[in-house]
Amino acid sequence: VGAALPVDVLTYEEKTLCAILRVISSGFVKLWSALTLLGFYQNRRCAFRVLQASPFLLALSGNSRELVL
Amino acid sequence: PWQRLRQAPRHLLVCERGHVRHERSRHAAHVRDHAYNCGVSFLIPECGILPEVLKSTIADLGEYYLVKNLSVHEFVAHEFIDAFVKKGSCYALTYNTKIDQDNTAAVLPNGKLILSVDKDTYEELGLQGRPSRYSGKKVMRYIITIDLADSSFHPDSKKHNRVLWALKEKKPLEFDFLMAWHSAGAEGSTLMSYFSKNQIRALKPKITFSTLRDLQCPVLQSNELQGQPEESCGTEELFEWLGAVLNQVSLDNKSSSFLSTYCCPQPSVVVEKAFLCTITGFIIPEKIIQLLDQLCCYFGEPKLAYWLTLTVHGFADSPVSWRESEHGFHKGGENLYNFVIFRNLDYWLQMAVGTNDDCPP
Repeated sequence: VGAALPVDVLTYEEKTLCAILRVISSGFVKLWSALTLLGFYQNRRCAFRVLQASPFLLALSGNSRELVL
Repeated sequence: PWQRLRQAPRHLLVCERGHVRHERSRHAAHVRDHAYNCGVSFLIPECGILPEVLKSTIADLGEYYLVKNLSVHEFVAHEFIDAFVKKGSCYALTYNTKIDQDNTAAVLPNGKLILSVDKDTYEELGLQGRPSRYSGKKVMRYIITIDLADSSFHPDSKKHNRVLWALKEKKPLEFDFLMAWHSAGAEGSTLMSYFSKNQIRALKPKITFSTLRDLQCPVLQSNELQGQPEESCGTEELFEWLGAVLNQVSLDNKSSSFLSTYCCPQPSVVVEKAFLCTITGFIIPEKIIQLLDQLCCYFGEPKLAYWLTLTVHGFADSPVSWRESEHGFHKGGENLYNFVIFRNLDYWLQMAVGTNDDCPP
């Protein structure tokens, strides 16, 4: 996907292993599918979990589903 | 079928311009109409510490409550309605329920009890509602609205008795609720004492401060919403830039960088410092209006900053966005708004919603 469809890695935090990716709208479904199906990287098992997806970068700075009281 | 691969879920961003002191300005109404808020942030360029004018508002953000295992029929009890719904403003929202999967309930300050339930629950409850607007061809979700403050909803009315019977005996519904009550001077018991028999916990919103250094900020002109080439940036660019700042995205990537091509919209200036405050919890509109008023007072004295921003995030799993417009979660439950307040008290108000939402007011 990264070669055929430009994807920006906007942030990456090693501590939490979380990243924010940016892709053009028409590539949204392809990118999410690619992430879901990616089970191996360099012979190591891995899995990606999409925490939040939005057309608005600002929406990603607040996630009520992760609100811890 | 190949077409579907290239379609992204729809969304909407509307922008309104106004002036805070104008008598017909709707800025306060928009804040008041957005009942459930889980996060509030404000960013003040050219500022290093919490301004004096904001200190008391930040110190007095009030409390909210988490009540566990609360039966929905308790909201229909007249003691509750008389104490909290008819007086002041009562806010309640189910905690940890997903609007696209679970049953959800909410109480709005106008006295409406909203139940968003799945098909089985709706049929078992037997109360009149309407199908969810975002349910697709086969209706799997229904919305029931009960006006607790209506004069025809008094204790002996047929309506009241039917609702009480449905929620108490036919299909009891129990949830953990986030609640808050703005008393507006009304005397009487508090939520803490009323629900003392339930597991109730008082909570304070979490507040964090940070000072950002050498921040690239877009140049904005309040009367140019679309921006002017070489002179100012538009609202959409500002909205995205603010998202980058709040998510700590690097602002100066080169277009040849292989990691990210995002960069600050131009024209921009570098400010030596900017103050960022983030508040999370269950924050009621009354407090946000106070915050907004005090942020306007910040410009009461001459300041280096040309503008500041106030961003408010709604709950992804709330059954409503603004007023009683149904809100749903498709791929993201966004319903947020952002104010840009200029030195001269002009403002931009941007309201954003996702797929399963009405256009904001």
